Amino acid sequence: MKKYVDYIIIGMKEHLVYPSAMWAKFFSKILYLYLQFSIWNALFSSNSQINPVVNQKDTLNYIVIATIISALIECNTIEWLNAQISTGNIAMELIRPIDFLKMVFSRHLGDSVIKIVFYCIPLCVITVMIMQQPILCHTQILHGVLSILLAYCIQFLYSLIIGLLAFWLIVTWPLNMLLGAIYKLLSGAWIPVTMFPDLLYKINLFLPFRAIYAIPVTIMTSQMKASAIREAIITQFMWMILLYCITEIVWTIGKRKLIVQGG
Amino acid sequence: MSIEVENLTKTYNIKKRSTTDNSIWYFRAKKYSSMTAVNNISFSIPTGNIVGFIGANGAGKSTTIKMLTGILTPDHGRISINGLNYKKHRRQIMLKIGVVFGQRSVLCWDIPVIESFKLFKDMYRIPEKAYKENIELFSDILNLPEFIYKPPRLLSLGQRMKADLAAALLHNPEILFLDEPTIGIDVLAKAKIRDFVRKINQERKITIILTTHDISDIEALCKKMIIIDKGTLLYNGTLEELKGEYYLSHQKEVYQNAAMENTLETIIKNIYEGDFL
Repeated sequence: MKKYVDYIIIGMKEHLVYPSAMWAKFFSKILYLYLQFSIWNALFSSNSQINPVVNQKDTLNYIVIATIISALIECNTIEWLNAQISTGNIAMELIRPIDFLKMVFSRHLGDSVIKIVFYCIPLCVITVMIMQQPILCHTQILHGVLSILLAYCIQFLYSLIIGLLAFWLIVTWPLNMLLGAIYKLLSGAWIPVTMFPDLLYKINLFLPFRAIYAIPVTIMTSQMKASAIREAIITQFMWMILLYCITEIVWTIGKRKLIVQGG
Repeated sequence: MSIEVENLTKTYNIKKRSTTDNSIWYFRAKKYSSMTAVNNISFSIPTGNIVGFIGANGAGKSTTIKMLTGILTPDHGRISINGLNYKKHRRQIMLKIGVVFGQRSVLCWDIPVIESFKLFKDMYRIPEKAYKENIELFSDILNLPEFIYKPPRLLSLGQRMKADLAAALLHNPEILFLDEPTIGIDVLAKAKIRDFVRKINQERKITIILTTHDISDIEALCKKMIIIDKGTLLYNGTLEELKGEYYLSHQKEVYQNAAMENTLETIIKNIYEGDFL
């Protein structure tokens, strides 16, 4: 177990090595939050029609929370795995008496700890100062946190699967760009899913993306029935288990397909 | 620990494309053809030996080493390490082997070398005492204190290689795989690394498998050698036997070219050219 703790610490240290990169990331997050905030504010104020489904306050809450969560959830596992597989450096990880997937997760976990401390918490402070009104649904915070944790796992497993496809495709980030566009739209990281047209909404029910942003953010920001919350969390849970199984399968088959690149 | 290899075979699939066609049809890969990287190799290495594993570029050395270390799965054949195999006893074997790939590093790129060592200490459950002893021993021979607090990206190639060598030996492995450990290393550092390898072998009875293109490495370290070419085993035996056999079969030429130095290097060169065996 201690070796995985070491990997968590290494993940943290690797994130902290280049302070200038961290500052750049930090400011980009703030800028992104500000952009999202301004765009949605402008959209609502330019359109005076009263929409019964979505109101300005809820939407803004949703967007702000989604942005903060994205700072935590986003994960560079795809790029990392791609680099490992396409350069052949993965060989050096495979000769260790460790579980490779657990190792990747530990590194990501360490990375996330730094992200919470250096990005999420400052973003929360800034948000509280700007918004000046309660944005969280206090009664549902515990469920919300659980839901975020599940979303975190789902996002990681999803990245892992796409990254591991490099066993077959060698380079998967272009595939990831394609999926990334779909992902950003359908997960609800940019636009609240309640605004989707009916067809898109129905398609989305059969895809895992919804479970990454839409579900946790909705639980965090809007009042829901107990049964609805339970249903949402169970949905997330199912997706997590399904993706976990797929990961194991892809890993077991892919490992055998491995050709160590570059001698 | 001993190594036994039986009928080891590995083939790669490659797309067959025309090399002269520059039109768009180039991209229409017609067939897959299989290339046999390692073809039906069998050998065994007893405990405590240093074996030189040599072959021309692309002969299948690295593929074999990667199968021996459990990174690649062979298509056919059996590898057993002290009676254990990678399918069932993967972790057990991993705890007992150390690997150095000359062109890759096991150390975390951005983090001081000592942190990577600490990681390996936990990973292999190395007792505190053994860890300290090893670090001290390696510090003496490999000058570790010079660079151990720097991250690998700031090290020279030779320093990095020394750090990698130390990292591979921290957990007292019983088999050490060295894949071209002396590429790009200066004469002095090379001599040091050789001495170190020899010392480790004698003191700890570690089995060592060494691939290299530097024949002087082989001569300095190995008693036995395995030569492969185009994936097949050409020779497996001691250095003296190889020289002896070569002199026997080339008696005439040897007399004719008395001036010609029949060193190991020329023998191996001739073998690569398909002259012998």
